[in-house]
Amino acid sequence: MALRVFGLNIIKNNRNILQNVGKTNGVPTNQGAAAALYATQVTVEAAPAAVQKQKVSKAMKSYLKRANEHDEFMKTQHLEFQIGKRHLANMMGADAETFTQEDINEAISYLFPSGLYDKKARPTMRTPDEVFPARKAAEFDETGRPFHSMFYTAKPNFFQLLHDIVEETNKLNDLEERMLRRGNKPDENQKLETAGFQLLPKEHLERVLVEQIADIEYQNFSNSMERLIASPYAYKSKAFIERFLKPLIDQSKQLEVPKPKIDEQGRQYITTYECLRKTARADVTVRLPGTGKITINGQDISYFSVEQSKEQLLFPLHFCDMLGKVDVEANVEGGGTSGQAGAIRWGIAMSLRSFVDQEMIESMRLAGLLTRDYRRRERKKFGQEGARRKYTWKKR
Amino acid sequence: MSVYPQHFVDPIINKSLQKEKAHELSHIPIKPALNVSTDSIFYGELKQKFTNYILKEGNSALARELLTKTFEIIKRTQIERLHLAKGDKGSIITDAETLLINAIENTRPLLHLSAIKRGGVKYQVPIPLTEKKSYFLAMKWILEAAREKERKVSLPEKLAWEILDAACGQGRVVKRKDDLHRLCESNRAYAHYRWS
Repeated sequence: MALRVFGLNIIKNNRNILQNVGKTNGVPTNQGAAAALYATQVTVEAAPAAVQKQKVSKAMKSYLKRANEHDEFMKTQHLEFQIGKRHLANMMGADAETFTQEDINEAISYLFPSGLYDKKARPTMRTPDEVFPARKAAEFDETGRPFHSMFYTAKPNFFQLLHDIVEETNKLNDLEERMLRRGNKPDENQKLETAGFQLLPKEHLERVLVEQIADIEYQNFSNSMERLIASPYAYKSKAFIERFLKPLIDQSKQLEVPKPKIDEQGRQYITTYECLRKTARADVTVRLPGTGKITINGQDISYFSVEQSKEQLLFPLHFCDMLGKVDVEANVEGGGTSGQAGAIRWGIAMSLRSFVDQEMIESMRLAGLLTRDYRRRERKKFGQEGARRKYTWKKR
Repeated sequence: MSVYPQHFVDPIINKSLQKEKAHELSHIPIKPALNVSTDSIFYGELKQKFTNYILKEGNSALARELLTKTFEIIKRTQIERLHLAKGDKGSIITDAETLLINAIENTRPLLHLSAIKRGGVKYQVPIPLTEKKSYFLAMKWILEAAREKERKVSLPEKLAWEILDAACGQGRVVKRKDDLHRLCESNRAYAHYRWS
């Protein structure tokens, strides 16, 4: 009995150390907090030396050996990283003490320029803590008895999380029932705002839990979180929910709107280069004020013989109520009719942003006019008749 | 299988619909608008779908032209009828798109028969259709009826007749729907084979 208590104490000490580390790092985001909360229970620390004198189970012995090895390994890695950093700083003629990760990245991309397309494949240098992911600490004491009641699920942190979510949900349901009986209504002003947030993606959650989870398990997580968030009293457990939310980028303010320039005649104009669609490429100039004149490769709108393409050109103009108020000049090459029309449509829409208000820009975004159409022709596959169609199957 | 990641949302062109969803979509990326969609008053979703069914070998310009011609014929006949009618002129619809929608609504089947094998015997079991499938069948039947014609008659002409017939609940296509419903009715005893 004494033994078990002793073991627990060691683990607790480790936790404290780790928590302090988390604090000194000063991670302000809520994911950071979530990560710290789980990391306290999971990261490997130096093996407790005092334990080894007692009678130790086989599992604990092998764990201690592994932990020691890992510690040694990490120590040498850290040392190597520090030396490498100093060398880099010397090479770049900077002070080694104040050389940050950003400086390292810059130095690496300068010294080892890489033409590889995938960013993951390019040379990098990061701290060993990032390169070698955190591993779990001992989940059992010297006698081999697990600490966690869900140890034998093999994913104790994940199932504990599901358990916690359900507990929160039940709490809120009880609260709702009590409030209903009293005739109270949830506070509308405090309502939980989740429009700009997203649940932690699977990879992120795995990092937080230090456990690999299957797709279906992530589905279970997101379903139960959604049920929790849907509760009218969700704001009561805001702190819990926010640990598993990630803020999204505001789409409406993502792209900067260019300032229009002034031409010789004193008209404002904007040129959008590289308007791409399928294999067509265009550059589009929009001038304000204008009379609605459209010039494509020196011709007017009859450059397109197909009705649908003409309609496409007028779509953004009509949508913004700018038909007849601006002049459009476009040069297109490559591609077919609909590709060229699509390229010019995108160019007009992008250029028009400079001449309309913010509300209209958002409206255009929602109508899908400001998104680049990345779809290309799908290639034919061997053993198939086309991209998707298979040859007729004959048994014999 | 889409080029865009799963969290991308289909574009909304209707401005009043946009206003309703603006808040929840403010942080969600939108797919680009299709090259057939516009905000012009001549755009109709069902009409667009019907054009795609007329389409043969990707010649969308021809398909569109055929539908336009059909609408022209419908409009001309309806205007003629309106002028010939004595009294009660309000009941004659002259808008071709409304007539097309009416025709499709009138010819939409609710059930179809599907063969299910139970104990070595094939049974024709009536099964309810989804909304999408029933719209598809209605449009397919109208087109099939229109394509079954003599060589001298053009497709727009025949299609216009079929649409006009179906819009007032007559004609071959409506009969085809009724036949199917009747068959389903007579096979209702087998309906339970859907589950057991």
